[in-house]
Amino acid sequence: MWEKLDIRQEEREKIVSKRRSFLSDVWFRFSHKPTAIAGLMVIVLMILFAILTPSFTSHTFSSQVLDHVSMAPWLKSIALDEGEGYIYVNQNLKLIHVNADGTLGQTLTRLDEDDINKVNTYAFDEETLQLKYGGGSQTVVFEDGREFSDVVKVKNKTYLLGTDTLGRDILTRLAHGTRISLLVAFLATAVNMIIGILYGGIAGYKGGNVDGVMMRIVDIISAIPLTLYVILIMVIVENGMTSIIIALSSVYWVNMARVVRGQILSLKEQEFISAALTIGSSPKTILMRHLIPNSMGPILVTATMLIPQAIFMEAFLSYLGLGVQPPMASLGTMCNDATEMLRSAPYQLFLPAAMICLIMFAFNFVGDGLRDALDPQLRK
Amino acid sequence: MARYIAKRLLMMIITLFLIVLITFILMHSVPGGPFVREKTLPPQVEAALNEKYHLNDPLPKQFFDYVKGILRFDFGPSLKYTGKTVNDFISNGFPYSAKLGGITILFVLLTAIPLGIVAALKNGKWQDMVVMAIATIGITIPSFVIASVLIYIFSFRLNILPTFGLTNWKSYILPVIALGGYSLSFVARLMRSSLLEVMGQDYIRTARAKGLPEVRVITKHALRNALIPVATILGPTIANLLTGSFVIEKIFAIPGMGKHFVESITNRDYTVILGFTVFYAAFLIAMIFIVDIFYSMIDPRIKLE
Repeated sequence: MWEKLDIRQEEREKIVSKRRSFLSDVWFRFSHKPTAIAGLMVIVLMILFAILTPSFTSHTFSSQVLDHVSMAPWLKSIALDEGEGYIYVNQNLKLIHVNADGTLGQTLTRLDEDDINKVNTYAFDEETLQLKYGGGSQTVVFEDGREFSDVVKVKNKTYLLGTDTLGRDILTRLAHGTRISLLVAFLATAVNMIIGILYGGIAGYKGGNVDGVMMRIVDIISAIPLTLYVILIMVIVENGMTSIIIALSSVYWVNMARVVRGQILSLKEQEFISAALTIGSSPKTILMRHLIPNSMGPILVTATMLIPQAIFMEAFLSYLGLGVQPPMASLGTMCNDATEMLRSAPYQLFLPAAMICLIMFAFNFVGDGLRDALDPQLRK
Repeated sequence: MARYIAKRLLMMIITLFLIVLITFILMHSVPGGPFVREKTLPPQVEAALNEKYHLNDPLPKQFFDYVKGILRFDFGPSLKYTGKTVNDFISNGFPYSAKLGGITILFVLLTAIPLGIVAALKNGKWQDMVVMAIATIGITIPSFVIASVLIYIFSFRLNILPTFGLTNWKSYILPVIALGGYSLSFVARLMRSSLLEVMGQDYIRTARAKGLPEVRVITKHALRNALIPVATILGPTIANLLTGSFVIEKIFAIPGMGKHFVESITNRDYTVILGFTVFYAAFLIAMIFIVDIFYSMIDPRIKLE
């Protein structure tokens, strides 16, 4: 008559949802946003690209090959016989032999120039060949009378993304530039975070006159566009990576300070702070152990939004010529260097520009995702 | 109202004074001084130059002379171009920058607000998606990239728009789009979210319950209130357009203030940098002040204190 109930049966009928900690809750909401996840993946790939690429390429970011100046990823070259490769003619009528597999071979020495008949003579291995470039087309004529003038597009295998105006490999420089840009952004954000948290935390916790004066200072700082300050600071300190970080981190903390102060003002009225006060915690403990950890959500969101801002600003400064010093490259300086070549070699500008856009998209999406995941007001 | 304006004015003056002080100190902490170049000058020449530009006076005196100059709208001489003053640069460049900036603001407001309204009213439909996609692109892509792509497509490839100068209406198209792209996206986003929020308010339901036609509900009740947040960011938007124009004026070779400013940075022409910064800051603070006053007039909920 009496039967022992299987304990698992009982548990099976419980109506509870899976218990999730705060962090896994945040992760759950974050991971259900496709744009946020895509952004996160792009960032990870980008970091891997920036770190790993230099060890895979045979070029360095600063080595120049003056024979290989401004070579596009796809070379328009004159096809020779099957298996003999191609001849690439650059803007200065310099001839470069492209092997059949797309790697760059020897640069042909110019033996003779005839500007009137528009015929140049070059040495190619043991033979000589002539380039006729009159009449809008280019024809390669060998000693034995063979002529070639078919222009084909050959994938540049030596420089996968081409070279810049100084003959440097763009792929390697792109990785290097991404690394510098990300490094500047991360470091500047970290410094901003620390200054902002401390400043806002102290202002919010002390309250009263201290708060009034501190926030008035913030008001004054934010009354002028920060771009002006950053430019001013960059004018004074020597150009370079550290200066950019100093310039960016000395002004962008104001937003962070405001966010932290607002959080702390509302948090410090809550019971757990009174409890901490009653048991005799010092202000430092209360600030560091209770108030700041509890306002970490908005702090993180503000920080993720700061990163794209820093990248933006770094690119902007570099574009004005206030960036890192050559031969170092950041994405902004690469764009700046390539502007003059926009008509003849647009890839030199579009590649770093695309990289900047990709980074900006990724961080903005991650920031949006984090905000939605951490914002308790949107919680259902 | 008068008290509020007076208080704001006082704050403005204090802020400006501090800005002048900070920039002055920053500019005078430059190592080496303004006449250090690759070619070292004979000491007599350098002394004469220092004498001419009053660089031998004690710093506080220099500072108060400078402030006195600013009060008479005199920003002093350029250190690199003899015979030219900072005022010359400002009065040469300002008309171009102001014209470009003014047209851009009009363009931003006339496109962003309708876009935001459409996106909010068609919330979740394809129109919304399109507007939000445009807005995301505008916010994430730096203006110099937009400018370069536009030049490449419309000037080099299609060959229908000029690449530089401000000679006719055609030459305004590209700089205005490139300069206004960010602000346009920002305003459109703000307009959308603010209208969405207003549409969910009780008084909108009341208006509908009274039997008002939807068009009247939107124009008469929703839009008026939804436009208030947009009005508040007008000040910062103007600031954005002005500082954004550094790059745009450089790319499109527009002889405005931004171009002069960038050139003075590359030339390390300290008095010009100092003067332009102070001028920019004063202009922007004045703009924000005007917008704030205007804002407190259109929104009766704001208490003037």
